[in-house]
Amino acid sequence: MNLEEARRRAENLEVTARRDRIFLNNPVVMQGLGLAPLVVAATSGQNALRLCVAVALLLTPTRLLGGQISRAAKLGPALRGFVYCLISSVLYIGVYQVMALLFGVDVIQLGLYLPLLVVEPLIIKRYERPVQKERPTTALRKGLRTTIGYCIVLLLLGCGRELLSAGTVFGHTVTQRVLLPMASLPAGGFILLGILCAVWRGAVAAYKHHVTMEGRGGV
Amino acid sequence: MSVVLQGLGAFFLSMVLAVFAQNAVLSRALGVSRLVKLVMDGENFARFAGLLTLVQLLCVPMAYYANGLLANFAQRSAVRPLVMVLAAGASMGIVWLGFSKLVKAPWVPEMLSALPLATFNCAVLGALLVTVTQSYTLLQSFGFALGSGIGYAGALAVVGQAQERLNNSEIPASFRGLPITLVYLGILALAIYGFTGHMVVI
Repeated sequence: MNLEEARRRAENLEVTARRDRIFLNNPVVMQGLGLAPLVVAATSGQNALRLCVAVALLLTPTRLLGGQISRAAKLGPALRGFVYCLISSVLYIGVYQVMALLFGVDVIQLGLYLPLLVVEPLIIKRYERPVQKERPTTALRKGLRTTIGYCIVLLLLGCGRELLSAGTVFGHTVTQRVLLPMASLPAGGFILLGILCAVWRGAVAAYKHHVTMEGRGGV
Repeated sequence: MSVVLQGLGAFFLSMVLAVFAQNAVLSRALGVSRLVKLVMDGENFARFAGLLTLVQLLCVPMAYYANGLLANFAQRSAVRPLVMVLAAGASMGIVWLGFSKLVKAPWVPEMLSALPLATFNCAVLGALLVTVTQSYTLLQSFGFALGSGIGYAGALAVVGQAQERLNNSEIPASFRGLPITLVYLGILALAIYGFTGHMVVI
């Protein structure tokens, strides 16, 4: 990479960081969204995968429809919140059928964290912001990026907790030793998620430092 | 007389259960995303928790009777969140009207601005879902909703009070803020687990 390009990257770092929903501005790690399913329901790789499917089916369509309806009807914040939740709960009827079709009775393992997705800040957070002109393509792009960012954390935490609490990953035995039985409890979920966030934030800070130094010609 | 006492007993038992053993935040992580944001932004905890409890209590009868109507419906699991959201929306409308028409105070507009956040919240819907899926009676549901609101307020106060210490310079930079708050919540959740000795049904 030449110095000119490195400078351009360093100058645009904050804008890039704000737009990135996967690594630099991950919805969980940086904004603390979607914590409840992560802490309690994502106790295994399978559960994390089920939650990923539900979030993928719910998040982007809710953002897309919610944005369009709120803008068209010029709704205030209170009604906007209600409309977003209404949209997500109507969509949930279809999502539930798809989940039941894909995973059968195993959907029960997610307990109340599957229906709770309809009011999860990760899905409906957009309503808190004043109505802005967000084109459908932008809503689609941002929704998909947020979904990917959330699913990465879900799978990392789900597989990590399963490995630590049962010695398996997606049901396949990796080790006979149970390293941390507490990992399957909500308490373990909180602590492991806190550690994951700290490591992730440390990596983001190191990356930003690296890009800034590169831009100054210091690397 | 014994029926009244039994009812009161069920109410208080459900309330105490929801405050401690089944604390919304520490045992089910309900509304934890909002809690973390509130404590980080240093917002008014009491106002938020009060609104949340009020909305939750108003939702209970609507959710209870609506769930009764759904009892024989095959797709009730798929439709239940929609019914709960409608109940929450109606409760928010009642609170909104009540405050804007009956209370004339300078803090009312600020309070109303926090109303959507306190209504469309995992803690509200979560408590309602617990009461209907675990077939609580109406009195038990009221007790659980009240206890859940008190439990949420307690967790908010405990985490809020700890923020000053959690953000001091001795904590590594990457742990400050959200990560250390989550670890702290984990330790509190472990204490609740040690107290009850079992995991709650999710």
